[in-house]
Amino acid sequence: VKFVQEFRDAELGRGVAGQIRSLVESGSHYKLMEVCGGHTHSIYRYGIDGLLPPEVEFVHGPGCPVCVLPMGRVDDGIAIAREPGVIFTCFGDMMRIPGSRGSLLEAKAEGADVRMVYSPLDALMIARQNPDRQVVFFAIGFETTAPSTALTLVRAKTEGIANFCCMSNHVTIEPPLRALLDSPALGIDGFIGPGHVATVIGAGRFQFIAEEYGKPFVVAGFEPLDVLQSVHMLLRQIASGRAMVENQYARVVPWEGNARATAVMQEVFELRPEFEWRGLGVIPRSGLKIVEAYSSLDAERRFGVPGVRIEDPEACQCGEVLKGEIKPWECKVFGTACTPERPIGTCMVSPEGACAAYYSFGRYARERGVAV
Amino acid sequence: VDAGVDAGSGTGECVTCGDRASRMRVLEVLELQGLALCLDGDGSQRAVETGLLGAVAPGDTLLVHAGTALAREAGAGA
Repeated sequence: VKFVQEFRDAELGRGVAGQIRSLVESGSHYKLMEVCGGHTHSIYRYGIDGLLPPEVEFVHGPGCPVCVLPMGRVDDGIAIAREPGVIFTCFGDMMRIPGSRGSLLEAKAEGADVRMVYSPLDALMIARQNPDRQVVFFAIGFETTAPSTALTLVRAKTEGIANFCCMSNHVTIEPPLRALLDSPALGIDGFIGPGHVATVIGAGRFQFIAEEYGKPFVVAGFEPLDVLQSVHMLLRQIASGRAMVENQYARVVPWEGNARATAVMQEVFELRPEFEWRGLGVIPRSGLKIVEAYSSLDAERRFGVPGVRIEDPEACQCGEVLKGEIKPWECKVFGTACTPERPIGTCMVSPEGACAAYYSFGRYARERGVAV
Repeated sequence: VDAGVDAGSGTGECVTCGDRASRMRVLEVLELQGLALCLDGDGSQRAVETGLLGAVAPGDTLLVHAGTALAREAGAGA
């Protein structure tokens, strides 16, 4: 078997960590942002941060899709779920994201027909099996997930499945990265790039980070050695004063992306003028809506969602966590009022969320100097 | 358990919406539907959309996200 156990080899990992230490200059500090929630999960699940010298700091980025979803969109989804005759489908983590008046899971407990699905194709299957019901799929995710939704809408249109539609909350990765880079106070020295978004859009799409902002960027895989090697590549660029896009995950990620995936996304979606992000505010041309040719499959047009905007709870500091301004354990309610069992903020809901990753793997205790 | 593919959602990882894909092995190509029957590390089988990759073959290792194969892992296999 190739490419799984090899990338979890502890001895090799310690070797790469040693090479990283040799690149660290005394008195320097290296602030590296892992954009994707999957990397956050890997870093704390495998204890990668514990292998690295204290000069290397990980900052968690906005790449967990459920974490960046604003409360108003959750409320809009719940409003549709409560419509008579609707079967409302969504991914598992989405069920527990708090809106202003509860979650989809609570709406289900109160009688709404909310069902968890693994893929939008599962939702389409439910629509085929229930022709007398309206089946809505709540679509979230970056460019990794959007092609799956797009292919499903193409199938629904081709097959003439009129009782199916999607509420698109899809977003794109470039605008929030620009928003973060336009905030120089954050002082990010380099980026661990989202490997699976890059399978769709290509590693080359991130060149603006090196060319316009002068920051090193390494597209990374998700195994422990992938992450360690990516850190090494970033520090090597920093040590030599270079800023470029490198592709550590070349066994999967093509430089130019997946042309079929980008084509089907362009057929089905177009950019919204603006979209609200939790913690980052409204970002122009960052969200995807369903194009006119597929408007009959657009849940927002079919149901006329309220379109509410809700401020985050005062105690919740997900916004600062998502911008890397504070560590999860520095939030006022982390681990006390906000836990994975009863989350207040989105970052505590998904296992890929920075707060849930810290909570699950005990890093908050270590960073506070408490015995784990 | 097949060590060359990833475990399913029982691992605590968000495999559906965390923008992270999982490795699955192709068992059978369902050509008429544009799908492939694939196996994950838990031993579970699922029909996976392969429309973004073109032709796939039994034994291929695919990166699957939200039920859709996004990429084929180069050189991977048993």
